[in-house]
Amino acid sequence: MRTDALRLMAASLLLIGSTTDAAGTRAIADAPLQITIPAGELASVLPPAPGVKTVRVAAFRLDHTPVTNEQFSRFVAEHPEWRRDRVAGVFADGSYLSHWRSATEIEPHQRNQPVVYVSWFAANAYCESRGARLPTWHEWEYVAAASATEQDGRNDDEWRQTILGWYSKSARHSLPEVGKTPVNYYGVRDLHGVIWEWVDDVNAMLVSSDNREQSSPDALRFCGPGALTMEEKENYATLMRIAMLSSMQANYTSKTMGFRCASDFGTHGRNKP
Amino acid sequence: MKRSLVLLACVAALGMSACTKQHAPQIVQVAEADTGGSRRGDFGPPIGEPIRAVLTSPPHVPPPTNRTHPARVIVELEVTEVDMEIAEGVTYTFWTFGGTVPGSFIRVRQGDTVEFHLKNHPDSKMPHNIDLHGVTGPGGGAASTFTAPGHKSTFTFKALNQGLYVYHCATAPVGMHVANGMYGLILVEPPQGLPPVDREFYVMQGDFYTVGKYREKGHQPFDMQKAIDEHPTYVVFNGAETALTGPKALKAKTNETIRMYVGNGGPNLVSSFHVIGEIFDKVQYEGGTRFQENVQTTLIPAGGAAIVEFHTEVPGNYVLVDHSIFRAFNKGALAMLEVDGPEVPEIFTGKLQDEVYIGDKVASLASVATAVQASAQGNLTVAQQIEAGSALYKGTCSVCHQDDGAGLPNVFPPLAKSDYLMSNPQRAIEVVLNGLSGPVTVNGSTYNSVMPPMSQLNDDEIANILTYAMNNWGNKGPAITAEQVAKVRATTKRAEGAAH
Amino acid sequence: MNAYVRLLLCATLLATPALQAVASHPAESVYHLEASLTNQTGDEHGLDIYSGNPVLITMFYGRCPMTCPLLIDTLKAIERSTTAEQRARLRILMISIDPENDTPEALLQLAKQRRIDLTRWTLARADERTVRKIAAVLGIQYRKLPNGAYNHSSVIALLDPNGVVVARSSMIGKADEGMLEKIAKY
Repeated sequence: MRTDALRLMAASLLLIGSTTDAAGTRAIADAPLQITIPAGELASVLPPAPGVKTVRVAAFRLDHTPVTNEQFSRFVAEHPEWRRDRVAGVFADGSYLSHWRSATEIEPHQRNQPVVYVSWFAANAYCESRGARLPTWHEWEYVAAASATEQDGRNDDEWRQTILGWYSKSARHSLPEVGKTPVNYYGVRDLHGVIWEWVDDVNAMLVSSDNREQSSPDALRFCGPGALTMEEKENYATLMRIAMLSSMQANYTSKTMGFRCASDFGTHGRNKP
Repeated sequence: MKRSLVLLACVAALGMSACTKQHAPQIVQVAEADTGGSRRGDFGPPIGEPIRAVLTSPPHVPPPTNRTHPARVIVELEVTEVDMEIAEGVTYTFWTFGGTVPGSFIRVRQGDTVEFHLKNHPDSKMPHNIDLHGVTGPGGGAASTFTAPGHKSTFTFKALNQGLYVYHCATAPVGMHVANGMYGLILVEPPQGLPPVDREFYVMQGDFYTVGKYREKGHQPFDMQKAIDEHPTYVVFNGAETALTGPKALKAKTNETIRMYVGNGGPNLVSSFHVIGEIFDKVQYEGGTRFQENVQTTLIPAGGAAIVEFHTEVPGNYVLVDHSIFRAFNKGALAMLEVDGPEVPEIFTGKLQDEVYIGDKVASLASVATAVQASAQGNLTVAQQIEAGSALYKGTCSVCHQDDGAGLPNVFPPLAKSDYLMSNPQRAIEVVLNGLSGPVTVNGSTYNSVMPPMSQLNDDEIANILTYAMNNWGNKGPAITAEQVAKVRATTKRAEGAAH
Repeated sequence: MNAYVRLLLCATLLATPALQAVASHPAESVYHLEASLTNQTGDEHGLDIYSGNPVLITMFYGRCPMTCPLLIDTLKAIERSTTAEQRARLRILMISIDPENDTPEALLQLAKQRRIDLTRWTLARADERTVRKIAAVLGIQYRKLPNGAYNHSSVIALLDPNGVVVARSSMIGKADEGMLEKIAKY
C-alpha cells in the first residue's frame, strides 16, 4: 500500500519534470503527455447523489494540456471518417472543424492552439485511438479544483476571481496556445482560462435546463431521484462549466469547446495516435 | 384592416352574436372591475399570415401593433457577448439580447401567439436561454430555450396577460447572466391598444459589479463577490453611464405627452425612479393595468417595470435618476431628457435674479452701506452709526459678547452697563484694534481670556460698532468717530498678522 | 419480417435510381454508430437490428423499481394505440444501461415476466462505453448512483426505417399523440 503510494508519487514527479521541460523548450509532442493524478476525495459541485457530498476519485492519468489542432489533424489524417466533409451529422454538427483551412489542413497559427469545434463523438474517437478516454466530470472537476499551490483552491477568493476573469472575456479573441498557463498543483495546465472541455459522461449531468427548478424535480421525467441539485452555488466558474456542458448535445461543436484525454491508472494510453 | 371591418359589418348585419367571442375587447371594456387576466386573454387562434415583430434597440420603442385581431408573431432574438463601454474609458463584456443592454424591445398584442426564436451567436462562450415574465408556462420559456453557442431554439407561447414585462436569461449562474446585462422588456398591449402619445422611450436600469473601482479605466471583469454582497460598482440606465446623456440624451418638445417604458433588470437593486422637474401624470405601476396619478417617484422592483407618462410644459433638461441618490451621482444612475420649445414664464419663470444671500444680515447690511456713504459725504448721524454698528456687531462681536451684550459669566466680560467699556473710550478703541489678553476686572468680576485684534475692520466700522455698544443695552456714551480710530491705529502697535 | 424487408427494399429500389441509397444511411441516422449489442437470447447484433422498420427505442435497467416498468407499460400502450397494420411494421428496442446486472438471462427473464412479444421486441445490453455512445446519439441522460441504481431520463424515441430520430417523448403512462401521428407515416 505504502510502496504503491510512493511509486505513484515518483511517477507523477517524473512526469511533472519532463512536461515542464517540454512546454518551455520544444514543440508539443504528438499527443499531450499524461500526468498521474493520485486518488482522493472531492466535494463536488454536482454531488453523485442527493445527500452524498463527496465523491471518491480513483487514481488516473490526465493529459497535461488540451489536444491541439495539429494533434487532432493527425488523427483525422489517419481516420478520414472524421474529416469534416465525411463525418455523419449524427456525430458532428455543421460547424465541426469549420475553423480549419480545409478538411485536412489547419492554418499555421492554429498548430499549438487547442482544437475546438469538435463534437463529443469526435473527441471520444480521438481518445480511443490513443487507447485513452475522456475524463469523467468528477475527474475533471477534481483536477480543476487545484490551484497552483493547493490541492483544493476553490475557497481562495483571488484564485476564483482569476478563473472568473476568463468568462469576462468575449470569445471573439483568438485562442491562446496550449501550455502557456501556469501548472497547477498536479502539474496540469490550461484547465481554466483557455477553453471549455468535453467530459466522458456529458450525458450524465441530468441537470434540468432551467437551473432554477432543481429543487423540485419532475419524478417521471427522470427515473430515480430526479435531476441533480447543484451544490456550492457560489462556485460560479464550475457552475458555468456544467451549464455549458448541459447545453451541448453530443454532436454539437462550439468555438470554445475542446478536450483532453484521460486513462485509467495502470493502463497506458499510447502517446501516438 | 379594411377587410376585417367589412367582415365585422357583415357579422353585425347577420346578427351572428356567437362571433362576438372573437372581439373580446368589447367584453373587456364592459367588465370594468377587472380585465379578467389570463382567463380573458385568449382571443382565439391567430388570424392571417404570421407577422415578423419589429424589434428596437433602447431607447427606441417599436410602433403600436395597431391590430384588432390576434396574430402569429415571429420574434427572432439573437444573443451576443460583446465588449462595450460602461463608462468613459471603461469596457465590460456584456451578454446581450440583440447586442444592446437592455435587450431589444418586443411589442405584441394580448392574445397573440408568439413564435420565439432564440439564437445564440457562434462567437458566444456561454449557453443562454430566456425567461419572459409575460409567458404563461414553466420557466417562462427558460428550459425550452436553453441554447448552446452557435445554435437556435424555438418555442411558442400565447401572450395571455396584457402588461409590461421583463425578460431575462435564466442560465446558471442566473445572477451572473443578469448582472452582465441579459434583460429587456416585452410589452403586451391591451387588445384596444394604448392611448396614443407623442413620444415613447425605453429605459431600463441595471446594477453592475466590476473588479475595478467606479470609473477605473480599462477592461473590467465581473466581480462575483461584490455581486453576492450586493455592492454594485455601477448603477446605470441602458447599460452605460453615458447611454442617455450628452449627445445621446432623450429629446422631446414642449407640449408633448411622453410615455416611458421603464424596467429594472437588477440583478439586486430596487429602483426609486424619478424625473427631476416632472411629475408623472400617470404611472402604471409594476407594469400592470391600473394607473396611479400625480406621482413623484415610483418604485420599480428588480425584475419589474412601470409605464410612466407625463406632459411637457416647460423647456429645459430633465434628469432621470434612481432617487436612492448616491447611485445617481456616484454610480452613474443618471439620464437626461432635453425638452425643446418656447419659454412659458406663467408656468415657470426660470431664474429672475441672482444676488448674494447671507441670512439675516441682508437687510441690516444696507445700513452699513448707508453709513459709509453718509460718512464720506460728511453728514453721518449717530443714529446711522448705531444702526450700522448693530449690523456689524452681529457676527463679529456677538459670538462672545452675546446679542444682548451680557457676555458669558466668568468667560467673556459684558459690554452692557460695563464700567470697563464706558469709563475709557480711548482704551475701548485700542482693545478692539489690538486685542486684549490677561486679567481684566469688569463690574467687579475678573476675566482672564483672550480677545483677538479686530484690525481687519476699517476705521468706519470700528467707530460704528463702538458707538453702537456705548449707546445700547442701557449704556449712554459718546459717539466714536473714524478719525479717533484712525489716530489709535496710527499710534499703537498690534501683533504681527493680526489682520486675520 | 423478411417479406417486409424485401418489400421495403423493392419500394426503395423503385423509388430511387441509385442502389447506394439502400446501403448508406442519412447523415442524421443513429445507425452510423457501430455498436455491438447482445440480446436476451445471447445473439449479437448492431443498433440497426430493425433497420427498415420504424422502431421505438428506449434505455432502461432491469432492476429499476419505478419508471422502467412504466416505460414498458408506455411502450405497450403505444403499441395498443396503433392499427394492426402499423403494429405489424413497428419494432421495439430496449437497451439496458446496466450491463453489469442485465445479462441476457436477466433480460430474458424480464421479457417473460412482462409478457413481451420477442418476435417484435428486443431487449439488449452492451458494454459500458457503447452504452454511453448509444445514449449520446439518442440524447438520453443517465448516471450511475453510488448505491448501484441509475438515474436516467425516461425518453422514448421513434426511429424511422433509416434510423433517424423523428420523434421523442417523455410522456409516461400513456401513448403520446404526436408520436402516434408519426408512427402512422411509416
